[in-house]
Amino acid sequence: MAISFKQIEDKLKAEAKKLLDTGTVTVVLAYGQGYDEKHPMPYAAKNAADAANIVFNEYCAANMARYLVRYPRGTKIAIAVKAADSRAVIQLIQEDKVKREDLVLLGIPVYGIKNFKTGEIIDSKTTGGLYNPVLYDILLGEEVHGQPVNSPYDVLVQYEAMDNEARWVFWKKEFDRCIRCYACRKACPMCYCDPCFIDQNKPKWGEKSPDSQGNLMYHLTRFHHLAGRCIDCGECSRACPVDIPLYLFHKKVAKECEEMFGQAAGMSIEDKPVLVNFRVDDSDKILA
Amino acid sequence: MKKTSISEISDLAAQLMGKGALIAPVREEAGFNFREISDAKQVDLNFYNTIISPKSAFFPQTEDFVRYQTGKDILEATPVELNIKPAFLFGVRPCDVKSFEIMDIHFTGTGAVDPYWQKRREAAAIFGYAFDLNTPADGADFYSTLGIGAADPEGSDVFMIKKGDDLLLKAITPKGEKLLAEMSVLSDATPDDLNYFDDTVAAGRAFKTRFTCVEAKPIAKKFEDLFGNTEFWEKVSNACLSCGACTFVCPTCYCFDICDETLFGKGTRRRVWDACMFTDFTLEASGHNPRTKVYQRLRQKVCHKYSYHIRKYGPISCVGCGRCTRACPVNIDIFSIVDEAMKA
Repeated sequence: MAISFKQIEDKLKAEAKKLLDTGTVTVVLAYGQGYDEKHPMPYAAKNAADAANIVFNEYCAANMARYLVRYPRGTKIAIAVKAADSRAVIQLIQEDKVKREDLVLLGIPVYGIKNFKTGEIIDSKTTGGLYNPVLYDILLGEEVHGQPVNSPYDVLVQYEAMDNEARWVFWKKEFDRCIRCYACRKACPMCYCDPCFIDQNKPKWGEKSPDSQGNLMYHLTRFHHLAGRCIDCGECSRACPVDIPLYLFHKKVAKECEEMFGQAAGMSIEDKPVLVNFRVDDSDKILA
Repeated sequence: MKKTSISEISDLAAQLMGKGALIAPVREEAGFNFREISDAKQVDLNFYNTIISPKSAFFPQTEDFVRYQTGKDILEATPVELNIKPAFLFGVRPCDVKSFEIMDIHFTGTGAVDPYWQKRREAAAIFGYAFDLNTPADGADFYSTLGIGAADPEGSDVFMIKKGDDLLLKAITPKGEKLLAEMSVLSDATPDDLNYFDDTVAAGRAFKTRFTCVEAKPIAKKFEDLFGNTEFWEKVSNACLSCGACTFVCPTCYCFDICDETLFGKGTRRRVWDACMFTDFTLEASGHNPRTKVYQRLRQKVCHKYSYHIRKYGPISCVGCGRCTRACPVNIDIFSIVDEAMKA
């Protein structure tokens, strides 16, 4: 990167202070101090003094877009966005959960972000493999060019080598480990339903206890609710306390959607989500 | 006191398996967890601590109570037999051993006895296992803050300490004494081992995790005073996603829900872990929900452990094992909240 994490942090602080000082926004969603340096936390700065508490380092993987829907509609919000995070914001705009004019996007061009639980670099493994925010108002640094661009779908090679039977066995085994803490849906910027279908009991869609049937119902339904909407930030997989590789399914569906509809989620505010849009030239592949 | 070579740990495991169920840490995808051992070679003491606490040995996430058929008379429903067999909970860290004492308050101590917990607890022998004092504590741990030593044998039936390539086993209770006497694979410890054991227990008390030691009562009082300070609670819960990861990995969270789960007319009434962090945890039949906001739920969790529990039962309902902090997707740390409250 042309600039360091520390420089990005300084720019974030300065922009946040300016935006809060001038009253342009009432809250800045960024990162703050956690219990140690390797564990920063999502942070909401609400006044100019708070801006000094903002941090940014290689462990700031969290997608802040998930917090947007917490604020009343019309709240002026500035949000720090890395590449995948900006796609979440775009998708939320497409779905009319937030308005473009209420947001100031502080774009962060960055690579080398790490999973704070494992220390592993997450570029293109669990995320979309982009380095530059797709949409921003203020860019904190310079766009990253010349870095190898990996396809976000490269990690699917092993998964795609499995036949249907093997995939079924794979997912059954993975879902059997699920403890139903719902960290995946809560970490997901696109999971904003209140209540979530799995919490409803009239009708009851799935069982509450963490056994095969209920787990399968919960995950498969959630996977399909995110079809064409998942922006590949990988937060679900990182949030999972038992490391279920949820990203594999989401990436697979994203890949199919992109192939069928020629559109990836959260790439343009002009797009409509593929599953709520109908075009006469839509792919009939699924019927063939 | 007895000893065995760690490389021969599976011989001990096999002998225990001959007497009952052996529940020990097993290496899984994301880390270690306590599981019932089917092959003695699975036992692996090369772990720091498990992802999910050992409470599930006595209080499983799902517990079936009654099976029934829809449309049939209630009298035809059949209670699920509690099939309790002797169990050996092997390799439990001192902070987790302490958690059983706290859980006993709720499952037996208050007078409303939970037979499931009680019978399993009575049938089990606990093999506590000291933390390795030669490696620094994980950054998320704070058990010493709560007065728990890294090598405290109290609460275990047998307490184990690693000494080089050997494992020292000392009986702490008569139950443990009897068990160790029956283990023919163990050899007698030397006077040198005895000294090492005592020295390690003492060193464990001096072993520090982060934060300094605290007193329960002033914390309880502080949180009572802070209850109405919405600004404080909103600030500390800003990042909270309101998922249940922290409570499900916690050794002292004991909330559960009773669910009737029916498929094709065949039903089971079961107990399933619940979490105060879930929105529907406090949803009432009327539709009213007294805790709709994230800060209200996080406040409940923190105050339950660090205030209400102290006032009602005495001890803090937390053992500083650090699991919630490690499991949190957004790095919320419960003791940092306590720390911040004490400064507020």
